Amino acid sequence: MGSYIARRILALLPVSLGVVTLTFAVIHLTPGDPVVAMLGENAAPADVEEMRHAMGLDQSLPHQYLTFITRLARGDLGKSITSGASVTNLIIERFPATLELAGAALAVAVLLAGSLGFVASLRPGSGLDLGAMGFAVLGVSVPHLCLGPLLMIAFSLRLGWLPLSGRGGLSHLVLPAVTLGAGMAAIVARILRQSLVETKARDYMRTARGKGLSDHAALLRHGVRNAATPVITMLGLEVGGLLTGSIVIEQIFSWPGLGRLMLQAIGSRDYPLVEGCVLVFSLSYVLVNLVTDMLYALVDPRVRLG
Amino acid sequence: MKPRSCARRRRSPDAGGSRYVFAALLLAGSCLILTACGRARENAPPADWLRVEIETSPSTLDPRYATDVISSRIGELIYESLVKADSRGGFEGDLAQSVERSGPTRWIFHLRRDRRFSNGAAVTARDVKYTYDSVMAPASLSLKRGSLAALAQVEALDDATVCFTTKRPLAATLELATLGIIPAGTPAAGPRGLPPAGSGPFRLARFVRDQEVALDRNPWWTGSASPVAGIAFKVTPDAIVRALELIKGVGDFGENNIPPQMLSYLQVHASLRVSRFAGVGYQYLIFNFRDPRLRDLRVRRAIAMAIDRQAIVNSILARTARVATGMLAPENQAYEPDVMTYPYDPGAAERLLDEAGFKRSAGDRAGIRFTLVYKTTGDEERRNLAQAFQAMLAKVGIRLDVRTNEWATFYSDIQHGDFDIASLAWVGINDPHHYYTVFDSKMTPPRGSNRGYYSNAKMDELLERAEVEMDPQARRLIYGQVQKLAASDLPYVSLWWQDNVTVMNQRVRGFVPYPNGSWRSFATISVDGEPEASR
Repeated sequence: MGSYIARRILALLPVSLGVVTLTFAVIHLTPGDPVVAMLGENAAPADVEEMRHAMGLDQSLPHQYLTFITRLARGDLGKSITSGASVTNLIIERFPATLELAGAALAVAVLLAGSLGFVASLRPGSGLDLGAMGFAVLGVSVPHLCLGPLLMIAFSLRLGWLPLSGRGGLSHLVLPAVTLGAGMAAIVARILRQSLVETKARDYMRTARGKGLSDHAALLRHGVRNAATPVITMLGLEVGGLLTGSIVIEQIFSWPGLGRLMLQAIGSRDYPLVEGCVLVFSLSYVLVNLVTDMLYALVDPRVRLG
Repeated sequence: MKPRSCARRRRSPDAGGSRYVFAALLLAGSCLILTACGRARENAPPADWLRVEIETSPSTLDPRYATDVISSRIGELIYESLVKADSRGGFEGDLAQSVERSGPTRWIFHLRRDRRFSNGAAVTARDVKYTYDSVMAPASLSLKRGSLAALAQVEALDDATVCFTTKRPLAATLELATLGIIPAGTPAAGPRGLPPAGSGPFRLARFVRDQEVALDRNPWWTGSASPVAGIAFKVTPDAIVRALELIKGVGDFGENNIPPQMLSYLQVHASLRVSRFAGVGYQYLIFNFRDPRLRDLRVRRAIAMAIDRQAIVNSILARTARVATGMLAPENQAYEPDVMTYPYDPGAAERLLDEAGFKRSAGDRAGIRFTLVYKTTGDEERRNLAQAFQAMLAKVGIRLDVRTNEWATFYSDIQHGDFDIASLAWVGINDPHHYYTVFDSKMTPPRGSNRGYYSNAKMDELLERAEVEMDPQARRLIYGQVQKLAASDLPYVSLWWQDNVTVMNQRVRGFVPYPNGSWRSFATISVDGEPEASR
């Protein structure tokens, strides 16, 4: 297990290199100029040149890339072009908000998906199943841009239970987390339901029932764990979606996270900041996949990593 | 005993177990939501504060670096400048009590002696000189350095007298005197540094980027104290959420940041007041004169006549604009009403295009004469406008190839002349000197904003004459001619002047609108009682 994790962590290096190289290429090849964004279009050409030189933007792209990679190898993400602040500090300031949102959305998704999937699998084809799965389809079909304002109108404007937007206590987290987690809950609920229905037909389940366990108890004690592998795979994949989906949610709910920081950085062509944000998002994605693989070993003793 | 009943009896304890699991899950979920609801409070400032909904965080509040609209409007409440723009496109004294010209290039400003910064220090000529010097310094990172290029030096003649010397005689010198003044010695912290003290009616209490800006009263302000204890600007990027916050009473005030189509929905709420005021924000179509087709005046006029601007104002803009005849709105003292106009007339547009030699193609079913690349940004209103232009121009045989991009890419294309036709806007035009920056043939990027590479010797001659004409009446006459020439020669197709649309809670009293959208009257505005939310 230890050597497996070590190998996977080592494998992060080429993935990270690929991500930063791609991001570097895309952001530098897209039209737009950070110096013009800072100095304005009427800046004296000498000032523009001076600033370009100060930022190293007058160097050739390969040279800029090498400088960037060398700096990155030392753990230095550089300084934001527009603010002059350290990119690492800016990310440290904003990433917890994104993690908080993604974590809460994951909790909502697991809670919702678990309940819906389990209920639906009890009586496949029954009204309960159709109702739960219909609800799940609704969850995956309604885009964040619609669901967010709808929930706001219902729970904040009409009922007055929750605040509309912004980051504060737990109450501020509920609506964005439900909006972000709803789509994931719907997908995972369907997978869980399908997996549980298939598991129920297995021989060992029949044996469990034969030993005198009820349907529900057999499902909870023996079925859920066996049905969990595809669900964990899906959760792992979808958590990446939660991180990137949070960009939209942060915009709707005025949530001061990394996604909003990245959008602004793209708008002002703040190259180091965009590269830093993308690197953090992609590394999080890869780490979540690693955790997913480790969870396999926990739920299924047949899987021995390494 | 029937096996069925036996099974039921056996099942019951386990089924009970699963029920416990469900109950526990349900309880956990409910607890989470109830705990959340128990704390369900908006992050609300005190009731005697004015709460303003803004769409983006100010980029910086340091007046030496602030150029975006939000930063400038909030900055006006914290900082005073030597003079400030009035509501007629002229200037009035702010820190300066009086202004006199002492030579072709020398302007003397006499300062009020009672002004103090929020740190208690008196405002002196030395502070004015320091502020200007720190922007004009070669190492300055200020966007405003370019706009002060005409200034040779700023001197402090004594504690209360400042002298501006310009590099050449410049009629629009007062426009250079609108920079917010900060205390001497404030370090050049860069655009994202901590904002320095100002001498305006408010001071900065808190600035959390992307979340809020809070201002409270400047304790050293010598004017009449503001009726509101403070102003909280809440950053809400999404337009629908801004509207919901105004309805709920989380925000008291929003200006020009609610989509026109939502205004009728807000109007039905008794707690809100939706008002439209004449604005000077100018929307136009720009032609690229490096394209030979667009150098033909008949083609430009045909395009102007093919666009039904009133229909667009009535529909897409929900009547929140006035069809424009030129860059200066009627509220500006230099406005010239007697200019050539282009009423919607697709028949006449077709005849002009035929005359110009662009016949409808016989082989093409749609009869396309030629295709133009139209660049715009990707926000919804811009895309709707692009579709309207596309449909209207298609009627006269011009195919519009619409390319939408995010702002930075769009702006880069415009600067590099990579467009045939594009839609842009100017906000907050005060002095007519602005014509020089956009239409003089020497003012192409990066020197100026003549992005269409328009060139007309007569226009250059008029604009350069107006630059040095110190007599206000004579200057106004020249700008009248400039406006007539611009309307007949069409470097821009004037579209509309955007109204300033405010959505206010009924508890807000005393808001005075300015055509340039200034929030100066926040210093005299008052709020009554608790915010009233409608359900």
